[in-house]
Amino acid sequence: MPADSPDKVIDRSAKLVFSFFLSSAGLWLLMAALLAYLAAAKLTDPFFLSSYEFLTYGKIKVAQANAFVYGWGGNSIFAVSLWILARLSQAEVRGSVFLVFAGVIWNLAITFGLLGIMDGHMSGHEMLEMPTEVWPAMLISYLIITFLALVIHRSRQVRETIAPQWFILAALLWFPALFLIAWNGLEINPARGTLQTVLSMWYGQSLVWLWLTPVALGAAYYLIPAILGRTIDKYYLAIFGFWCIAALAPWSVVHHLEGGPVPMWIPAVGTVMSIAMVFPIAVASTNFHATAFMDIGKVWHSLPLRFVIFGTLSYTISSYIGVVFSLPAVAKITQFTIINEFHFNQRVYGFFSMIIFGAVYFALPRITGREIPKAAKSFHFWTSTLGVLMLLLAYLIGGLTHGVLAGQPSLPWSSSVIHSIQPYFLITKFAFIILAFSQFVFVVNVWRIIFPNPFVYFSAENKEASV
Amino acid sequence: MNNLAKFTIGIFFTLGMAWLAFVVGARSQFGDLVPTSEVLDDDGSVPEDAELFPVDISGMAKQGAEEYAALGCVTCHTQQVRRVEAGFDVERGWGKRPSAPRDYVLQEHVLLGNSRIGPDLANVGLRNYSDEWLHQHLFEPQSIFPSSLCPPSPFLYQLVDEPVYSDIGIAPKNNMDKNRTVRPSIRANRLVAYLQALKQDYELPEVSFIETEEELVEEEVISSAGGEAPKWLQDQIDTGKEIYMKAAPGGGMCFACHQQNGEGLAGQFPPLAGSDWVLGNKERLIKISMYGLMGEIEVNGVKYNNVMAPPGIPPGSLTNEQIANVLTYIRNDWGNSASAVSAEEVATVRASLKGRAPMQMFTSAELTTPIQ
Amino acid sequence: MSDDSTHRGNLPNDKEFSDEEIVKSHVELSKNKHEPTANFLLAPLVFVFVFGCLIFVCSIQLSHSTNSFQLHPPVELIVLTAEEKETLRLDRKISSGEKIFAARCASCHQANGLGIEGQFPPLAGSEWVSADPAVIANVILKGLKGEIMVKGKKYGTSAAVNMAAVPITDREIANVSTYVRQAWGNSSTEVLEDEVSRLRDESSDMQDQWIGSELRKMFSDSFSQ
Repeated sequence: MPADSPDKVIDRSAKLVFSFFLSSAGLWLLMAALLAYLAAAKLTDPFFLSSYEFLTYGKIKVAQANAFVYGWGGNSIFAVSLWILARLSQAEVRGSVFLVFAGVIWNLAITFGLLGIMDGHMSGHEMLEMPTEVWPAMLISYLIITFLALVIHRSRQVRETIAPQWFILAALLWFPALFLIAWNGLEINPARGTLQTVLSMWYGQSLVWLWLTPVALGAAYYLIPAILGRTIDKYYLAIFGFWCIAALAPWSVVHHLEGGPVPMWIPAVGTVMSIAMVFPIAVASTNFHATAFMDIGKVWHSLPLRFVIFGTLSYTISSYIGVVFSLPAVAKITQFTIINEFHFNQRVYGFFSMIIFGAVYFALPRITGREIPKAAKSFHFWTSTLGVLMLLLAYLIGGLTHGVLAGQPSLPWSSSVIHSIQPYFLITKFAFIILAFSQFVFVVNVWRIIFPNPFVYFSAENKEASV
Repeated sequence: MNNLAKFTIGIFFTLGMAWLAFVVGARSQFGDLVPTSEVLDDDGSVPEDAELFPVDISGMAKQGAEEYAALGCVTCHTQQVRRVEAGFDVERGWGKRPSAPRDYVLQEHVLLGNSRIGPDLANVGLRNYSDEWLHQHLFEPQSIFPSSLCPPSPFLYQLVDEPVYSDIGIAPKNNMDKNRTVRPSIRANRLVAYLQALKQDYELPEVSFIETEEELVEEEVISSAGGEAPKWLQDQIDTGKEIYMKAAPGGGMCFACHQQNGEGLAGQFPPLAGSDWVLGNKERLIKISMYGLMGEIEVNGVKYNNVMAPPGIPPGSLTNEQIANVLTYIRNDWGNSASAVSAEEVATVRASLKGRAPMQMFTSAELTTPIQ
Repeated sequence: MSDDSTHRGNLPNDKEFSDEEIVKSHVELSKNKHEPTANFLLAPLVFVFVFGCLIFVCSIQLSHSTNSFQLHPPVELIVLTAEEKETLRLDRKISSGEKIFAARCASCHQANGLGIEGQFPPLAGSEWVSADPAVIANVILKGLKGEIMVKGKKYGTSAAVNMAAVPITDREIANVSTYVRQAWGNSSTEVLEDEVSRLRDESSDMQDQWIGSELRKMFSDSFSQ
């Protein structure tokens, strides 16, 4: 890599912010892994820790999703977005103090939110389960960070923007809009009846499609050319893909309401838009994979890129599966089954997290000047891959079994339907153990890079920069 | 794309379109539904003194809803019966009809749910579970359903040595304290009140009960319990069922009295399900199917005194084959299982009754004496 | 500095892009959108075709499954004149009555309302049916026993053919008796639910069935019509 000095200056300006967000993200990742293991263990043995109310399945399952999406997802989005925006704008990260301050608020808000969930103040709205008291803090801290991200973008050197910037900026801007809409419709000016569900479902699913997904896509659009040293193949399609996601994704997510007590047009529109989603998926898939397969050897040898391509492949496959499962005939079987878990984990583990891991492995050496040991990285990659594949296959096959058996009214519920999917829960438990180990190795190594000597971190800043 | 302001407007425009549809549009369409009566007046208005549905649940049950939300029950339980085209919910007996948006208008937190590791709870209050049963299930689901994955909630209960009136005699099976009694906390009582209040047992102008649920369940039981019936037998049963249910010339309209479920009506019409008259002597059964029956009879230990006109529309018009089919059907549904009746058997009986005047009903005396 | 450094030599393209290069090259790409290539015409055509098919499929799906964007609207929301409303109401009442009749009455009185001679009296053209609405309502409420004359023939000679009272709601009685009074050539007035409720209250103390002759005496005015 040409280590010309402007990049180094930018990296140095991003160092504090990136380190802060990444290390907190790591903390949340471990937290989520622990909760995921507990939840999975409770599904294999309901008596496991059953006498503690704050650890009852309903609570930790929800806490896990929130820790994962807002804790790990939020913090890693801030870290990666700010850095990529700064690099592409060739502009320094400014207002680090405010960013860290906002980050502290964000993390405190989520901490209190999770404690609130465990303490029995869950709201029951999808992905908005945290008590309403923490919502303002989340929104304000988020807006501060987004504002400073926009400041970086405004001071860019080249006026023209490219795909990674669109996706990342859009994600940063969409989240507060979604959040405000949901907040207004659920709390300030609450909707009546199943309209609440339409709204919370729309919010919860859009969060994945309009927040996590675009950041991961943006990171992939940046990392693939950066590491391969080639431009994106058929790049002219990227703009089409971007606007397709922008226009279709917020419509497509409501197909999960198929058959429910809402006007029929809502799931019908959702299904139609889901089908139309094949276009943006095809575009992203073509862009990434056509570029990557020109130089597949290099993809294999570059660990960050291996993570990224795993993520993009997973995105393509899971999104197509999602399209198929949104068809009413298929949804009849798969709706309400543990296929939901397949979708969620595919998105947040198989796609989003894998790309973020790739971005971290790419950015961390450049920012700190230190390398994570190769063995650790390799261990992380292979265990993540194994864990994710185990997890997803178990949920996919288990979910289909679940749906097919549930559709036979003569089979009793718990002794037959649920009994037959219990082996799959056992597999997911092992998968979560593997993933927990894998993420533990990742996080510990990230921390060791960021805090080589925890006690003298801030005073030693100058020394590290000279590596 | 290059101008941040235009870009922002663009992405908010796309989001705004979906917002207009799902938030603004949906809200204006069904955001202000109100309770209504089961049947509307003909001008679409609610009759003045009609009972309105859905009914508001009790204060206790509302507190229970808070507990339900706080414990995250919604993670595994839905509260929605899907439309028949979209799922098996009605067939599974999870509701008499699909849920409608109006069912939820009085709920503060609508907990439709999106995952069913546990069964749907939209109508759990209609399943005749006693409060004790629900407490037992909350305390330790595995003591009722050994393979249940529902987390036990012992933290909602207290184990006490000396029971008082309100305590519940439930046995903690996997627990050491077998001799102690379980005392529900106020939270557990709220939760049970909420669960018992979950019922959609009324019709709305927009959605009616689905009639076929029992039928479908029964059919499943037959085919899964008895293995595959040979095709000729299945055909006979199917045709017989049509005759049983048909209220038009060529049918028998048997269901009108003996009911769709073969249970009859208490004190009025005897049951066919499990009846020794149906499962026993075929000749007697064939005779009744041709000429009807009057007078006092005893079926499964209960006395009935009513008149059964000669079956068929018009009366007494069933052919040998039709009688064979419908009798084979009633001998093989609702848990009944007995040999098929053939058209030849019916013909033999008919021949033996050659001299009998048409439409002359058998009396119970005629049929019971010679046979017993 | 990067982890791929060891493999760089083996690969055909061993450079990485700097950020400046990434931006510049991609901006360049988006400026020259129309690179002339051999397949230029084919790809967009396929795209347009697939897109067209998709829109077609989607429209069909939408039109089939959106319920015309309605929320299960009751039919009655259409604006009707007073007479139309009245007809609609009566139609609904009669069709409900027809179902009740088929399920609960037709086994004896037969679907054609002719009964069975000597056993079950006819309803079609029966003076009992066309008499005061209270007669038919009372009979359904409490049942009927004893000998009666219907259309000049004697029925109810045997105790076995007494009509028993069955559990039935006031609205159902109103609907089914209105149906009976207007079917098979009968053309009597409708029976109102309120009236049935009143009769039910009045006869609430009665343990036994009505006796035919008594009932006939009570409403002798309307029978003579």
